[in-house]
Amino acid sequence: MSDKKQSRIRRHRKVAYSLLSLLVLTLVLPLIPYAVAEKDETAGKVFNPGTELWRDVRQRDRDVIGTTQMKSVDAGVLINEYGETWRHFRMQQLVPYGAALMGIVLSIILLFYLLRGPLRLQEEPSGKKIERFTVFERTVHWFTVAIFWLLALTGLILLYGRFVLIPILGADGFGITASACKEAHNLFGPTFLVALVLLFLTFVKDNIYARGDMLWLLKGGGMLGGGHVSAGRFNAGEKIWFWIAIIGGLVLSVTGLILVFSILGQSREIMGLSHVLHGIVALVVISVSFGHIYLGTAGVEGTLGSMTTGYVDEAWAKSHHDRWYAEVKAAEDGSDKIVDEPGLATEGKS
Amino acid sequence: MFKHLVDGIFWDIALWVFTIGVLWRILSIFLVGNKKDLSVARTTGMTGAIAANISRFFPRSEMQSRTRLHVIAGYMFHLGLFALLFFAAPHILFVESQTGLSWPAMPYWAFIVTAQLAFVGLLLLWIHRVMDPVTRLISSADDHVGSILTFIVMLTGCMALLEGFEGLRVLHRFTVELLMVYFPFSRLMHAFMFIPSRAFTGAWFGRRGVKA
Repeated sequence: MSDKKQSRIRRHRKVAYSLLSLLVLTLVLPLIPYAVAEKDETAGKVFNPGTELWRDVRQRDRDVIGTTQMKSVDAGVLINEYGETWRHFRMQQLVPYGAALMGIVLSIILLFYLLRGPLRLQEEPSGKKIERFTVFERTVHWFTVAIFWLLALTGLILLYGRFVLIPILGADGFGITASACKEAHNLFGPTFLVALVLLFLTFVKDNIYARGDMLWLLKGGGMLGGGHVSAGRFNAGEKIWFWIAIIGGLVLSVTGLILVFSILGQSREIMGLSHVLHGIVALVVISVSFGHIYLGTAGVEGTLGSMTTGYVDEAWAKSHHDRWYAEVKAAEDGSDKIVDEPGLATEGKS
Repeated sequence: MFKHLVDGIFWDIALWVFTIGVLWRILSIFLVGNKKDLSVARTTGMTGAIAANISRFFPRSEMQSRTRLHVIAGYMFHLGLFALLFFAAPHILFVESQTGLSWPAMPYWAFIVTAQLAFVGLLLLWIHRVMDPVTRLISSADDHVGSILTFIVMLTGCMALLEGFEGLRVLHRFTVELLMVYFPFSRLMHAFMFIPSRAFTGAWFGRRGVKA
């Protein structure tokens, strides 16, 4: 083979290799990013900018604090994920379980009344009255009652209004009602603390645990087994209610103030927890108050008069609070506390 | 419809009844006149009138323990209501819209505290009125209606605090109109008459040298 022919073959071979290399590079080069990407930990995921933004806004992975000119706690947080937890608890647990609690308590009271009836006096009323509550004590009691039920009713409307009132008033009507209730609830809230302090100072001295209280509890206050159980001015049941009202009221007041005065620097988590606690304690105290109302009115004969006129029949005192009755009788010197007509015994006692 | 009535004709009627009623009550009392006092005056009546007006602001020392609740709750309610009526921003704006007159309002926090004091005072006073057999006996339906109506006016006022719903403002204004119509024919007139009443008693006794 001549040199000229060999030279042409080498040239053709170079061209062929060049074309082949070009072809290989053309096919392989676009694959390099994929090859490199497979080494990345996030390889395989398709990023959606909107999804990532929403994830950051809701802070599912981590806290994201933005920048704002607003000067307040959590001002840089667009959406707090904890709010969803709180909302879920409120709608899925607090609302149905709270309604169930109140319904069960009312059902038990109704059942008890139908089966047992009101607790009658052990003996016929004597007609002689004995002072049980002074004017001041009754004023403090009814003042607390007024504030408590104003708050309870407005609070229950705020909690259950959307289920009960929207079908009746419509969405707009409920909106107005809810706004009115919220303003009234917030404005009256701090006054409940005033009532609570007055209630505590007025009645605490007679609501300390005393001998005989445990026995009273074990015998169910005579309501279950029948028969008389000895008690002082307040029996163990009344003392328990007093402390539920005081401690529960204190929790309600503190959590309520945290919720109303959001300018004090508390975080949303603290406010969420306060709301949860506020709702649970309120529903418990309201439920227990049903029992208190029953026993103070239809449940025990002759009891209501003690908080309206301030006087009870001696037979009532002996029947339900015999130790207190004995103390009063022992303390009286000129029978100024035992009178036939309530109005005559009020001189100098208000 | 109801809103137009409340903001229109109802308001006009209430304002006229209130104004004419109050003037009629005051004039009718002053025009009755007094019998001529033939006794020799020990002091001028003016001294007694001023003294009685001032001394009535303080409880008598021997009555302090018995009247503590009345005095504290009374001041809480009356001062609170006075401040709410004349220094709450929405009320000043309303007066300005009607008359063009305006004056500085109290801050929002003071408004809230004042409202709470007034509510506590009113509730305590009314409950005590009902609980105490003596005050219950000397109270008439008029006293209870006046107390309850005032409470409702204050309650609807606080419910409209957000100023977000027109219906709540209308409701508040309607209850105010009811109170204005009731006012001249009730013991609520003491708001206007307590100073001349004290002055009359003080002057009457003062002329006789008796400390009223």
